[in-house]
Amino acid sequence: MADEKKPRALATTAAAKIPKMTRANLAATVRAREEGKKVAYAFIVCAIDEIMRAMDIVPAWGESFSGICAAKRDAEKYLQRAEAENFSRSLCTYATCNLGFDMWREELKGEMPPDVPWGGIGRPDMVLGSGQQLCDPRYKWPQATQHYLRDVPVFVGGMYYPPWDPALDYREQEAFYVKYNTEELHACVRFCEKVTGKKMDWDRLAEIVDLTDRTINLFIETYELRKTMPCPMDTGDAMNTMVPISFMLGTQECYDFYRDLRDELKEKIAQKQGVVEDEKYRLLWGAGLPSWFALADFQYFNSKGAVFPVETTYRCTEALDRLDLPETNDPLEHIAWRWVRYWTHWYDKARRRPGSMPEVERLIEYIEDYKCDGVVFHSAFSCRSWHAGIMLQAEVLRQVCQDIPVLIMEGDIVDISSYNEADTRNRIDAFIEVLETRKNRA
Amino acid sequence: MPNTDALALVDKYYSNYGSRARELKAAGNKILGYLSALGPVEIMTAAGSVPLRLKGNVSEPITKADAHMETIACPFIRNVFDSALKGRYDYLDGMVMPHQCDSTDKTSNVWSHNLGLPYWHFLNVPHLADDPSVGFFTSVLGVFKKSLEKFMGREITDKDLARAVEAYNENRRAMRELYSLRRFVPPLISGVEMTKVLVAAMSLPVDESTSLIKGVIREVQERAAHSGATSSPRVMIIGDQIDNTAIAEIIEGAGAELVMDHLSLGSKIYWPDVDVTADPLAGIAERYLRKVKLPTTFVAGGDTYEENLEARFGHIRDFITEFKVNAAIIFVYKYCDPYGFEVPALKDFIESTGVRVLYLEDEYSTSTLGRVKTRIEAFLEMIE
Repeated sequence: MADEKKPRALATTAAAKIPKMTRANLAATVRAREEGKKVAYAFIVCAIDEIMRAMDIVPAWGESFSGICAAKRDAEKYLQRAEAENFSRSLCTYATCNLGFDMWREELKGEMPPDVPWGGIGRPDMVLGSGQQLCDPRYKWPQATQHYLRDVPVFVGGMYYPPWDPALDYREQEAFYVKYNTEELHACVRFCEKVTGKKMDWDRLAEIVDLTDRTINLFIETYELRKTMPCPMDTGDAMNTMVPISFMLGTQECYDFYRDLRDELKEKIAQKQGVVEDEKYRLLWGAGLPSWFALADFQYFNSKGAVFPVETTYRCTEALDRLDLPETNDPLEHIAWRWVRYWTHWYDKARRRPGSMPEVERLIEYIEDYKCDGVVFHSAFSCRSWHAGIMLQAEVLRQVCQDIPVLIMEGDIVDISSYNEADTRNRIDAFIEVLETRKNRA
Repeated sequence: MPNTDALALVDKYYSNYGSRARELKAAGNKILGYLSALGPVEIMTAAGSVPLRLKGNVSEPITKADAHMETIACPFIRNVFDSALKGRYDYLDGMVMPHQCDSTDKTSNVWSHNLGLPYWHFLNVPHLADDPSVGFFTSVLGVFKKSLEKFMGREITDKDLARAVEAYNENRRAMRELYSLRRFVPPLISGVEMTKVLVAAMSLPVDESTSLIKGVIREVQERAAHSGATSSPRVMIIGDQIDNTAIAEIIEGAGAELVMDHLSLGSKIYWPDVDVTADPLAGIAERYLRKVKLPTTFVAGGDTYEENLEARFGHIRDFITEFKVNAAIIFVYKYCDPYGFEVPALKDFIESTGVRVLYLEDEYSTSTLGRVKTRIEAFLEMIE
């Protein structure tokens, strides 16, 4: 087990701004009460960002706080508290880390536990969960939280999309999925109005939705600059630059961040400045949340001449002109369409290639567009949501696409006891050898 | 059915799981496998197929599944998948995978890709039970019905659905009557026997299942005259699909009586009926979302946390009273977020009724039975 934090060097100055932004996000949750604002425990990729921003609700992201605790290698004390309350170690460690922290703070009657990473996270006035085809903790974590914060009301809304089935036409199902998601988003607004005592400003919401749309397009435009060889920014940085799109969507600050990042990447491209001096291998981060305590592994890849110009993780969106969204006057219906069309975006491609599946079509698209030589997945033991099914993706990818080298790494998002640095590095070395052999053969 | 045959037949179906489905397949029927308490058996039956709830084999180590499915998935799902890969269900014409949890959702493609069955349907059950969710799920069931009609080559009429709904409601009434015989002190049917009945029942076409249950009731009722009062601890077990007798044998081997369950193959599916509604699918949707009490369905009821707990677990307290339970065992499979995250709340709720609780997290395998036995025996000693 690795027990010392090794900071990762960042390739972009934009990524270097992220720790300060993340600290500011956390600080906003802590001082919200004195500013008369309400705080919501919230979860990323739930499509309620714009609702919270339009109602001046300060989002407190449990995944972010737990990720920070992990990156600081300081999560164990919270995990142990949760375990002592009968939350198993095999459960989502983002949740159990956060729950352990909540329990401790309640024991201290609301005072921050000692030595909390980056000042801690504010006590919520509400919890906004989500029921989806993804992530059971998004509706179970809120319930578990309420067991310790009994005065805090919980809302869970549904956000679904037609599941992949090559025998069915998903477009025939879209309308009732969008109708349902829209109804659930309206229910979320009503809940937030009740807790905040304020009415939704629908014009403001429409403006924020428009800002989000423009941010998404800018985000994709920026990330697609990474197709350039040599690659100006890799996944190691993207695990930082995901913070605005994941935790600050619907804010001007988020838009401005990607504008600056885009400009910086253009400058690097003009100067032919890559992440590594001698770029030998281009890799796709195929799926999986990273081990936050082991981000230095990306640098290890870099030291071998490997870069990651693209990843699927934290890229839960697509340029809007590719989604062909129907016109609507209801900003919540627009969000619902954006949701459904994103999740079904690779269905048509998968139908055209017998034996394929949407997740694999996305990988193939990225392999081709970003000229990747191999694919790396990460399997986190405590998270079924993003990590069950990875083996199938690798298997189908090899079957329908090409015999592309694949590495599946194992670890966890938060629990460092799952990680073995020596083993991980050995597997990376072996993978690099495969890439090298393949390159020489070509 | 003669009075003496029912429990013997139960034993046969329990020991040779799926044997009746295999016979029906040979006779020209289409057999559809499904997982979990959320399999919409009424629609599968109305379509003319034979639904078979799949189970694994706790005594069989997983040897094939690990090449295709992550070990972080639910151990029960992995074990059943392993059984399917090994050909145990080679007579299936298709499968219905209800979206119960991440382990069903995220492995659905793994199953369909590797089994290559003629029919596959992922049923997108939502995690909520508010009005829009019931309407949405009704539409989801409509998509399933249409897809199944195409596969079966026949229309599923409202009359077909009504008949199937009534058949399952009758089946549930019969099973509840059998459960009522567990209220006796001592219970007229043991936990080991009841486990076998529950497993056998889920392997049969509904009418045969009902007939079997009624036969067991007749057989078991005859024991009342010879029964004498005991003071053994009366245990309730709570969990998902515990489909083997190993745990019941440990409990009863330690001198306690397993008198009630809140399992996904037991009271969770036999207590709620389908109401007759103008749109039969709406009644079915209502049952699976609002009446089948699973931790995968978010319950929003109540203005306070305490009221919410009542909405989520109040029925368990009713079971405790009705079946005179004085010890509860929560048995959760490893890697299960839906069950795992509610353990503290559930444990506190049950303890607030004065009943002691043992929480166990373990595998779907007899390989770990030694440690389970030690903990259950130690727990039951405290009750005595």
